[in-house]
Amino acid sequence: MSAFGVLLKKELLDVVRDRRTLLLTLVLPVVLYPGLLAVMGVIMNLGKERLKNEPLIVATVGPDAATLLARRPPPPKTTYQPKSRAEAELALKDKAIAAIVDVPPGSLAGLPEGKQVVATVLYTKRFDRSMQALDRLKPILQALNDSELTGRLESRQLEAEFVTPVKTDPVDLEFQKDLGPLIASRLLPVLLLTMLALGGIYPAVDLTAGEKERGTLETLLVASVTPTQVMAAKYVTVALAACFSALANLAAMGGTFGAGLALGPTTVTVHFGPGTLAMMLVCLVPAALLIAGLALAVASTARTFKEGQALMTPLLLVILLPALASQMPGVELTTATALVPLLNVSLLVKALALGTVQPLHVVLTLVTVSLSALGALKLAASAFQSEVFRFSGTDGWKELFRSWRKPV
Amino acid sequence: MLSGLLTPLRGTSRIGGVSVQDQPLEARRHLGFLTASTGLYERLTGREVLQTFGRLQGLDGAALEARLTATIDELELSRFVDQRCGAMSSGQQQRISIGRAVVHDPLACVLDEPTATLDPLASRDILELVKRAQRRNRAVLFSTHRMEEAEYLCTRLLFMRAGKVVAEGTTEQLLERSGQRSLTAAFLHFAEGKA
Repeated sequence: MSAFGVLLKKELLDVVRDRRTLLLTLVLPVVLYPGLLAVMGVIMNLGKERLKNEPLIVATVGPDAATLLARRPPPPKTTYQPKSRAEAELALKDKAIAAIVDVPPGSLAGLPEGKQVVATVLYTKRFDRSMQALDRLKPILQALNDSELTGRLESRQLEAEFVTPVKTDPVDLEFQKDLGPLIASRLLPVLLLTMLALGGIYPAVDLTAGEKERGTLETLLVASVTPTQVMAAKYVTVALAACFSALANLAAMGGTFGAGLALGPTTVTVHFGPGTLAMMLVCLVPAALLIAGLALAVASTARTFKEGQALMTPLLLVILLPALASQMPGVELTTATALVPLLNVSLLVKALALGTVQPLHVVLTLVTVSLSALGALKLAASAFQSEVFRFSGTDGWKELFRSWRKPV
Repeated sequence: MLSGLLTPLRGTSRIGGVSVQDQPLEARRHLGFLTASTGLYERLTGREVLQTFGRLQGLDGAALEARLTATIDELELSRFVDQRCGAMSSGQQQRISIGRAVVHDPLACVLDEPTATLDPLASRDILELVKRAQRRNRAVLFSTHRMEEAEYLCTRLLFMRAGKVVAEGTTEQLLERSGQRSLTAAFLHFAEGKA
């Protein structure tokens, strides 16, 4: 077995036996993530159901409001209570009532003469029951409007279409039946990059700063191996951990959405074809290598495990920034964005989920990320060429870029 | 510098006739290295540590197995060699560390203050390692602040102060030249520049 093979076997054994790494790379995505999503769906549905059955009080301000609403049966579990406007607003603020309907005095008398009654509904978005009250009042007020309008049109012998010469009828052909691809395009890019980063960051710190702290790095570097071989084994190990974490997450997500996730009244399902899945995996590998290289280079500047962990927080933000940017409206995978490392991976995953990917963009993304991954490997390897990094890590950042220029 | 961890500004060094500067990997195959700060992989078993470092030092197949058996027997590791290092006592860990340093039967050993943080029992293992190496005509570079250890082990002593050699010789020669009765007194004599 070559020195690299021996080192890789040692690193993999060390990582696989580390409970914290297993927790972050396997347990978190496989158990916690789908569990959380499922629990979230159940909680949302239970909450909506509970709110639907909750008795609500709606205050009516002025006799006209009470008379107007009395023309229709009240919504289920809803009681009207007359109050002055000031009393009603105070009660709404104290959450004693859910909404207020205010109709100006005397305006109802003008209704038969063709005048308009303005029914003001006061509610607050800070209060779920208030939103629910608005939802219950809207169809009642709409029905009152419709019946009054029908009467007016009939008295003038006009058709119902008279008041709507141009009717808008938006039909979303792609998503009206299943919101799965849309939700997947929002969740997957952020989630996959997060899991790649989380899966790679912990082993990167453990295998560099952690080894320095435990005094094991010294034992490796006095053996008959080059610093580059030592770093290469760590690089592959961290990339494998990152990939494994992302794949476990993808499988867990596939399982959750494949089985169907109940969100509100609809059940969301996502089914990716083998081609789409293969393309996702192909672009995840260079992304994992890029993240592994960055994490190792940064973690190598730390003297202790704790210091390494502190350095990983800004790195995590740097990695997640492109994933979040990919969610901005109008940001899509183009020839230009395909040249921005990590942003291109996020956008590619998004496009794959929506089924709008183009072959040229896939190629550009893969080439860009692979080249960046090579650069990250060089940066990580240069860190281990330096005596400063191997032992103290002090003044590390200057040394990192100084050693970057030296041939590895 | 002998282990290749630090690059010398000038001069040369050889282990078993192999230049550390020109053939660092080959030179390191002839070197065993142990310091007070070197650690063990806590998630690997003692046997896995010995196998890994034996392979990294160029051993394989039957030769590796033979050296593993010899090291385990010589250092009496068989009772705990298949446990994970993290579950071993500090004395057992120390023995595995010694095994790691000598599993490839090096021509020379560098032991940099290996007993600095150890209790007397664990220190005894290190001292025995040096004695065994002496009996097999292996070179040992032993750095220590404990003069009783130096007196017990060393055939040739170098007193150093601020990175410079201030005296050199056998225990008897140093005592005679300094006119002192103990090695500690002799060291203080030379370190204070009285020679």
